[in-house]
Amino acid sequence: MKKRASILLIFIMALSVVFTSCGSTNSNSTNSNSSESSSETTTTPAKNIKLVYWTMWNETEPQGQVIAEAVEAYSKQTGIEVELNFNGRDIRKNLQPALDAGTQIDIFDEDIDRVNSTWGNYLLDLEELSTKSYPSTNGKPFTEVVNKALIDIARQVGPNGRLSSIPYQPFAFVVMYNKDIFDQAGITSIPKTWEELLEACEKIKSIGKIPWTVDDAYMAALVGYHLARTIGMEETLKIANDNSWDHPGVLELAKDWEEMYQKGYISPNAAANVWPAGQQEIAQESVAMYLNGTWLPNEIKSSVKPDFRWGTFAYPSVSSDGDPITYNNIGGQCFAINKNTQYPQEAFDLIVTLTTGKYDTKLAQESLGVPMGLDSDWPEQLTEAKTVFENTTNRYIWAVGMENSADVNAKIKKNFALLISGKLDAQGFAEAMKN
Amino acid sequence: MKKNRAMINAFLAPAVLAYLVVFLYPTLRTIVMSFFKVESVTDSVSKWKFFGLGNFKTIFSSELFITSLKNIGNIWLIGGISVMVLALLFAVILTSGIKFKSFYRSAIYLPNVVSAVAMGTMWINYIYNTDFGLLNRILAFFGQGNKKVLWLGPDRIFWSMLVAYCFGMVGYHMLIFMAGIERIPQDYYEAATIEGANIWDRFIKITLPLLKGVTRSNIVIWTVTTVGFFVWGQIFSPVNLSAGTAAPMNYMYELVFGSSSSVTVRDSGAGAAIGVLMTLIVVTVFFATTFIVRNDDSEM
Repeated sequence: MKKRASILLIFIMALSVVFTSCGSTNSNSTNSNSSESSSETTTTPAKNIKLVYWTMWNETEPQGQVIAEAVEAYSKQTGIEVELNFNGRDIRKNLQPALDAGTQIDIFDEDIDRVNSTWGNYLLDLEELSTKSYPSTNGKPFTEVVNKALIDIARQVGPNGRLSSIPYQPFAFVVMYNKDIFDQAGITSIPKTWEELLEACEKIKSIGKIPWTVDDAYMAALVGYHLARTIGMEETLKIANDNSWDHPGVLELAKDWEEMYQKGYISPNAAANVWPAGQQEIAQESVAMYLNGTWLPNEIKSSVKPDFRWGTFAYPSVSSDGDPITYNNIGGQCFAINKNTQYPQEAFDLIVTLTTGKYDTKLAQESLGVPMGLDSDWPEQLTEAKTVFENTTNRYIWAVGMENSADVNAKIKKNFALLISGKLDAQGFAEAMKN
Repeated sequence: MKKNRAMINAFLAPAVLAYLVVFLYPTLRTIVMSFFKVESVTDSVSKWKFFGLGNFKTIFSSELFITSLKNIGNIWLIGGISVMVLALLFAVILTSGIKFKSFYRSAIYLPNVVSAVAMGTMWINYIYNTDFGLLNRILAFFGQGNKKVLWLGPDRIFWSMLVAYCFGMVGYHMLIFMAGIERIPQDYYEAATIEGANIWDRFIKITLPLLKGVTRSNIVIWTVTTVGFFVWGQIFSPVNLSAGTAAPMNYMYELVFGSSSSVTVRDSGAGAAIGVLMTLIVVTVFFATTFIVRNDDSEM
């Protein structure tokens, strides 16, 4: 009797181990958004189609909420079930293993460079699908009703130069500034050259505010931009790729920023700003300008006063040997379709819903972001950014390549922080970077 | 009790299976991976290219990796000595019969219970903040407010991080020392006192020698946690790696999964090489401490 009881116990234990391990592999989606509607409002009959969409947003983020709404509306209208999986930024680690394991994932989104270069092998070619017209495009091909610059970039970075992703939430990496401080300081026009910027800094300093700040996360981008404005994009990319800093432009950059430190134009805290400390200085209105992305108003929405007035301008030109202000880092997130999907057209339909018309506008408004559709309204905070987008002729890659190598990035962070806190002079910076 | 082979095997089976699948297989796979050029951790074996010792050459030619090794070297040596000395001091004090021993023990151990992320965030924002932080406020109180110290600047951030880290680690090692001290029979101390030994003599001649085994355990545990130093490096440098805060694990994380701020080339083979190197370090230190701190004379 005792033996039978213990055998039964072992059996139950083994079963429980098997069931718990089975159970955990199934439920991956945190929020299944499915609506199998009856055929009341459908234009096409319910086909028992299920799309799986993995997004980089979290459920609580404004983008996540708008996407959830759009997906539900799409499901109601078409009768297609959509499983929406809010991965958050962990999608950067989770997606490829899931795709390799053969999980059904029809649509996914992430940064345009990550989708096209890291996950390029998993993308469906969208050239054909994107030239068709859709209900919300008023008879025109899809690519003609959305932001052309972004589509061109997507094609440029796509595998074999083919359009394999549809951008959304575009951003530009620009100088974000506090309009109130500019008005108070009596600055009437946006600085377009380094000299004009220095003049503006002097005016801001005279009213007791700090002109500029930076934090550790964006130092490499600042150095990359300034270097590209000094010696041009090609030379800067070469320096970033070879990690060889002998170019005389490096010393010029060092002298410019040494001057910024000596004149007190850069925040004394900047060298010790661990992200997001730099943004917080902007939010508290102690600093006027910050080189960052147009996502900034959304990111510090809860820290700024309700009527905070945002302005944006392209990083000023520094030298005639360098790039003009029409060269900027423009990018965005993008949607992509798994090349092994069974429902390419349906997946693209969903993407169209998210990048044109009502939901495109809503996404831009709720997330204080840039819309994709040409007819959509821009949020007030980013009106000046429109000029930057329209005037950009050449694209910088992220941080003009200065973050491509962890070694280069770390070296810049250390030495630039020493430079802007007076612990290294210009010559010292140039020497330190050569090592 | 009769030994029933079948029963023993049946009960051991789940644990052994779990160990093989979750620990041994990944370890072996990582060791093999370190000799191949692999991009993504989940790439199938068909995509691996044999690379010999190439991955090891790659990591040692990276300045940031060498800096990260120096960082954990400093954490291990300087942090280790500080933590052990403080832990031993507190352990001796708390076992000497003072009042409120339980309260002090809980208070000193409390940082260990709090999540490292919460602790790190608190240190950065509450203590080290340039404008509002505790340290700069204290300096201002003593009239030194003009010169605001940049505790998180590039030259100080490593030491700031080390202090914050060690603060949390003292309690854990103190408990281990206390357990060791409490095992020493009181008779030895009584006999020594009768013979005329003072506190210092008792400590040096009785307590320390009889704590050899516990000290060795502490050193090994400290080494293992130091080699796995990761969370604090991430918190003090949240977006991408800094020379002052990077530990090999942080470097490996970014190498294997890519940077979170830009799209970098991933190299899981090199990451695996780092993993193998860290394992070798721990094993070496373990054997070194076994030979140096012999456990032969604590016959408890």
